[in-house]
Amino acid sequence: MSAPALSLRSLHKSFGATSILRDVSLDIPAGTRHAIIGPNGAGKSTLFHLVTGRLRLDRGSVWLAGDDITGQSPHAIFRRGLARSFQVTSLFPRLSVFENLRVAGMRAAGCGHAFWRRIDGFAALGARIEEMLALLDLGPRRDVAAGALAYAEQRALEIGLALVGGAHTILLDEPTAGMSRAETERAVALLRRLSAGRTLVMIEHDLSVVFDLADAITVLADGGVIASGPPASVRGDARVRAAYLGAAAEVLT
Amino acid sequence: MPGETQLPASVSVRPARRIGRGGRGAALAWGGAIAIALIAPHLFASGFGLSLLCRMAIAIVFALSFNMLLGQGGMLDFGHAVFFGLGGFATMHLLKLVDGGLALPVVLLPLAGALGGALAALPAGWLATRREGTSFAMITLGIAELAVALVVMIPQWFGGEEGVSGDRSGGVALFGFDFGSAVQIYYVLAAWALLAAALMWGVTRTPLGRLANAVRDNPLRVDFLGYDPARIRFLTFLLAGLFAGVAGGMQALNDEIMTVSNIGSAASGAVLLMTYIGGVGTFSGPVIGAVLVTLLQVALGTVTDAWQLYSGLIFVAMVLWAPGGISGIVQSHAPILRAGRGARLLGPYLALLPAVGLTLAGTVGLAELAYRLQAVRGGARAGRLFGLAVAPTDPWQWLLPLALFVLGAWLLSRLAPPARAAWQEAAAQAARGVS
Repeated sequence: MSAPALSLRSLHKSFGATSILRDVSLDIPAGTRHAIIGPNGAGKSTLFHLVTGRLRLDRGSVWLAGDDITGQSPHAIFRRGLARSFQVTSLFPRLSVFENLRVAGMRAAGCGHAFWRRIDGFAALGARIEEMLALLDLGPRRDVAAGALAYAEQRALEIGLALVGGAHTILLDEPTAGMSRAETERAVALLRRLSAGRTLVMIEHDLSVVFDLADAITVLADGGVIASGPPASVRGDARVRAAYLGAAAEVLT
Repeated sequence: MPGETQLPASVSVRPARRIGRGGRGAALAWGGAIAIALIAPHLFASGFGLSLLCRMAIAIVFALSFNMLLGQGGMLDFGHAVFFGLGGFATMHLLKLVDGGLALPVVLLPLAGALGGALAALPAGWLATRREGTSFAMITLGIAELAVALVVMIPQWFGGEEGVSGDRSGGVALFGFDFGSAVQIYYVLAAWALLAAALMWGVTRTPLGRLANAVRDNPLRVDFLGYDPARIRFLTFLLAGLFAGVAGGMQALNDEIMTVSNIGSAASGAVLLMTYIGGVGTFSGPVIGAVLVTLLQVALGTVTDAWQLYSGLIFVAMVLWAPGGISGIVQSHAPILRAGRGARLLGPYLALLPAVGLTLAGTVGLAELAYRLQAVRGGARAGRLFGLAVAPTDPWQWLLPLALFVLGAWLLSRLAPPARAAWQEAAAQAARGVS
């Protein structure tokens, strides 16, 4: 097997005197689905921000498919094949659903910054977007401004923006947050289907989604990794149980 | 978390608006534009009419180039006249070379404007587009000040106080046309306006055009989709500078003189006014704004010396109550009219008319009195208003317009909410009827 899709080596991050992440190391093999769980404030979203270039690392390094991407800008990291979604929905509110997806697919379609070619002339891109619209169940909403969508539709589009670009590694930050049971099930089916052949890393609070999808789970608590491995071993880990005392602990059993 | 979304509330509560895909409507609009450009000089054949049409053609290109930044790219440029003016000076210098014997058709001179505008936008954009939002606007303000200072400092290039002038009919005649006459220069400018507008419209339909929209809406997300938002802003800025330069070149041909005032903040303010009043949300908005504001400047200018006061008031009123501009008002009513529900709005809207009339009459009275008070203090005569002798120093004369204004404003505050509610209901019904 080649290099891991994503390799985090001893990441450290503090905001002022507050240490957010301490010595986080993690290898995610290519083609697997990996879930990162942990209580609120464990540093999960910060970890995504560090990996995708949103925030700068204090120490440590990030490797994508064998290449060091530490300190690179978000757009440079995307071009190396890493896409992400956001916990707080981050769309283009005045563009239509179709145009939102098309912007997300432009880099992979080789559009560049061209201002001498018609965007409609990229036929393969258009076809890919129509296909994605159907997969996301957003076909009837194709020409509606993203800002006018219902919340669940916006969440679906948020996932779509991360998936449509053809990245080999995809980071999803709470993809099912705020979705109903039925919507969550549809999202899980979609993720299962579209992550085939790719590496998926997701932060998820819904443990049923986690155990349904993930090949491996990493538990983050208080800025450090307290357990990492296949679902069965994580489920039985005593420290995980301690971190998850309360309602969620029952789901783990 | 549910509800934890960064989308502005004003966007999400609106009824689902369908965003057009161009096609037949666009072809019709362009055909109409060409037809108007051809017919207009026959309807307004006087010297005054033709010069007005020429000014409109220039303003349309200038406002469209401004909207590439503001409407399409979300960049508020406080110094857009810099590229207009420097494009105009570049054209002027080439025109002088043509006057001196250079064999170049005068028709092509706005190309020098394009080059001048783009070259000026290169360093300016390199500085300004590193930032977005307020910082961007501040940097452009600084660049505008800098450009004016430079123009004043280098009289060899920019002619100091008198500016640079030339003679557009001094070159080689092309097919017997020397472009000296008003109607000939009109057709040259109209052709350039149509060409520049078509090219700018084309840019909105390219990958860069779409990316500019995306950066306007959410630059952060663009960064995570493989594009550098600063680079997209920079390229958009260059194109906007180029087309502003074309407008400046048209101006140079039309006026046959460029001065420092063509670069200054008043010119930058005027294009902002036009674009905003027309509406930044659509491609046609700036065209509407350019035509109306040019007309307004001329029409008001012949009626009252206080016309700048009025254009300021109109601008403030639009920002407050119709931020989408005229095209925004049209756009928010189009689906209602198409659904055949326009008649229901007639009643509530007509009821507003007397209130609007009273407010306007009061505003005009107050504005004229205020303007003439200053004029009288300067030693001028107050003159007459609506056939009445005006004495702005008499406090009693202020009472009537004040009373009209207060009454009108009070009526508006009572009648506007039901009219708005009627519009919202009709819009919601129209949206439901369509989907």
